[in-house]
Amino acid sequence: MSKKKINIENMSAAEIREHRLNILYKVLPIISILLLIGLWLFASSLSSGFPSPGDVWERTVRLFTKPVKKMNLFGHIFASLQRIGLALLFDWTFGIAFGILIGWNRKAKAFFTPMFNAFRAVPPLAWIPLITLWFGIGEFPKVLIVIFGSLASIVVNVQAGMSNVEQIYLNVGTVFNTNSRQQLFKIAIPSALDAIFAGVRTSTSAAWMVVLAAEMLGADSGVGFLISRGMDSMDMPLVLTSMISIGIVGALLAIITQYAERLICPWTRRKKSF
Amino acid sequence: MSNTVNKDENKVRVEHLTKFFGDLHVLDDVSFNIKKGEFLCVVGPTGCGKTTFLNLLTRIYMPTKGELYIDNEPADPKKHNLAVVFQEPSSMPWLTVEQNLRFGMEIKHLPKHEIDKRVENIINLLGLQEFRNQYPHQLSISTAQRIIIGRAFAMQPDLLLMDEPYGQMDIKLRFYLEDEVIRLWREMGTTVVFITHNIEEAVYLAERVLILTNKPAKIKEEVKIDLPRPRDVSSPEFIEIRNHITDQIKWW
Amino acid sequence: MDEKKKVILKLEHISQSYVVNSQVKDAVEDVSLEVYDNEFLVILGPGHCGKTVLMNIIAGLEKPVGGAVYLDGEQVEGSDKRIGMVFQSLALMPWKTVMANVEFGPEVAGVPKEERRKTAQKYIDLVGLKGFEKSYPHELSGGMKQRVGIARAYTNNPEILLMDEPFGQLDAQTRYAMEEEVLRIWEKEKRTIIFVTNNIEEAVYLGDRIVLLSNCPAKVKEIYDLKNLARPRNTTDPEFLRIRTEISDNTDLAL
Repeated sequence: MSKKKINIENMSAAEIREHRLNILYKVLPIISILLLIGLWLFASSLSSGFPSPGDVWERTVRLFTKPVKKMNLFGHIFASLQRIGLALLFDWTFGIAFGILIGWNRKAKAFFTPMFNAFRAVPPLAWIPLITLWFGIGEFPKVLIVIFGSLASIVVNVQAGMSNVEQIYLNVGTVFNTNSRQQLFKIAIPSALDAIFAGVRTSTSAAWMVVLAAEMLGADSGVGFLISRGMDSMDMPLVLTSMISIGIVGALLAIITQYAERLICPWTRRKKSF
Repeated sequence: MSNTVNKDENKVRVEHLTKFFGDLHVLDDVSFNIKKGEFLCVVGPTGCGKTTFLNLLTRIYMPTKGELYIDNEPADPKKHNLAVVFQEPSSMPWLTVEQNLRFGMEIKHLPKHEIDKRVENIINLLGLQEFRNQYPHQLSISTAQRIIIGRAFAMQPDLLLMDEPYGQMDIKLRFYLEDEVIRLWREMGTTVVFITHNIEEAVYLAERVLILTNKPAKIKEEVKIDLPRPRDVSSPEFIEIRNHITDQIKWW
Repeated sequence: MDEKKKVILKLEHISQSYVVNSQVKDAVEDVSLEVYDNEFLVILGPGHCGKTVLMNIIAGLEKPVGGAVYLDGEQVEGSDKRIGMVFQSLALMPWKTVMANVEFGPEVAGVPKEERRKTAQKYIDLVGLKGFEKSYPHELSGGMKQRVGIARAYTNNPEILLMDEPFGQLDAQTRYAMEEEVLRIWEKEKRTIIFVTNNIEEAVYLGDRIVLLSNCPAKVKEIYDLKNLARPRNTTDPEFLRIRTEISDNTDLAL
């Protein structure tokens, strides 16, 4: 419900009760976050191994004045983003194309599906030994692990979108004499765009999860590296700083992809606004 | 309004019902009474706020001003027995026809023998014997809707609200179902508010028709209909009433 | 028969069946029909089988198991540019604006942008949607969506327009409004219209002729000629109600 102006004088007791409830729904999340910080303060006061918010803030500031491996916090975040960027570039080209292929073409589906299912049944981190053996520990193997960890989610979404195109839209196409190329590009792909975007969102968050794991195993940049560095040197404020930045960046990525979807698919706006 | 007569006879009293959504004025000071066992139809132009009106009666929304009384007490879904039939059939897909009919009464913890009696009665009135052990997905839409209507009547509600239950059905089917709902109503003595866009339907069913104006909806007119039943839709009296109501709301 | 009536579309012994749960179910049984040039033909049927199937066969969306469709004397195989269709409400593409939906036909046919825009604009204006060209379908009311559907079908300039229960989802009043609207458009831009409905009142209001189908399987039960019922018709006129009752009495009850 979008209530533009709320005019208390005009409201009945029941409506005022409703209105107060609505305010409560907005206040509760804030209380929840405050409570979390409160718990954190309390926990850190009990044990010296658990840094307080003040410690973490101080450590964060120090990360800028005294960079780790010549990189401040933003540098490390950027390093991680670069890795998932490369991986996602591959996901969103090859992954989308592959999803469209197996979602649209039944022969391709029959042929590739078993292969793909076998691949996606193996967790990406299980590949680490083999990938390290083949490619060492440079940039490429890390990006590869991220690809392995995020490719499936986009392929599955795109495929589902492509194989569930409403028959009625295809019928519209037939009545207007579309050829099969037009059926694919003018109808099937646009109608699957929201599923494709669901894939973009899930692959982005999956990539962000996996890149940390990849970096924790032998890297010298990235937020995942910061965590393992903190662990090795018992620098818990650094671990917490990294954890918080990971959370914030993850949330920002989700917001950005959602915003991009609204921009590119304006017709889904109404559905999403609820 | 001449509601001074005998207040006790009124099952439902609606007084000064008004609703704003922010600045949007949807319902403006609507007052009317419903007698016990009355069949009341509400018609109005498309988009006049009929849905808001319904949602106020079921307490999904709370009114900005005014109140709704059932048996002289402010209406309360917890205390009063309200039943609603929507345009789309809303039976539980995991229950059979008979279980669906029992559902509401079991929630209300009615004694088993009472439930048995009422279910039997409704199944007989609707002639649904052959469907009693089927699941909703095995039924046509019209049959599914009849189950819902049966379920609502079986609850013996204080007030039964029906929101265009026969919206998209063809005339033949609609006449059949309208006759059926009249039969149920007469048998059970339920107080019914029936909301519709279809004026012919309103004139066919109602003892009284409330005509709403465009937004903000007010009561434009009340039309009493005492044509004998079954009503003849092509009789001059019927057509006269139908045309009169149409003139009050026609926008197309 | 009547020399002046030119037969434009002919259905010969159309039958259609499906296999449902390993049982053969007949949807359409031996339907033969002649459709005249520029007439408003209503196909009226109770229940759920038959009508849409018949439309789909004429539109070339499915092949009948028996019989054939002839357009201007030639057999039609698959979809044909001369046959357009207005679908039930869901068929507007939600990812396209009103303009893009309406110009879809000429677009896939490769008509240059400027030219197809002009045609599309003409029909958008005709159906009364001027000013909504850039809106998306979800921003429109039910009646407006159907106007888009009608404009889209007209823009492809078909000889025959199939309308498959286009107003089935609308409320009774919006439906009256759209019935008047479709007649207004048809008077201005005469085409052969084949209009499917389960609503007897709508059929009597719109049709030059009404083909009454039986309940499953659909067969032609009766053909009513309403050319003598003057337009604009009045739904509470005694003659109108008499015909409505006559057809209603002859219709199968599809509970």
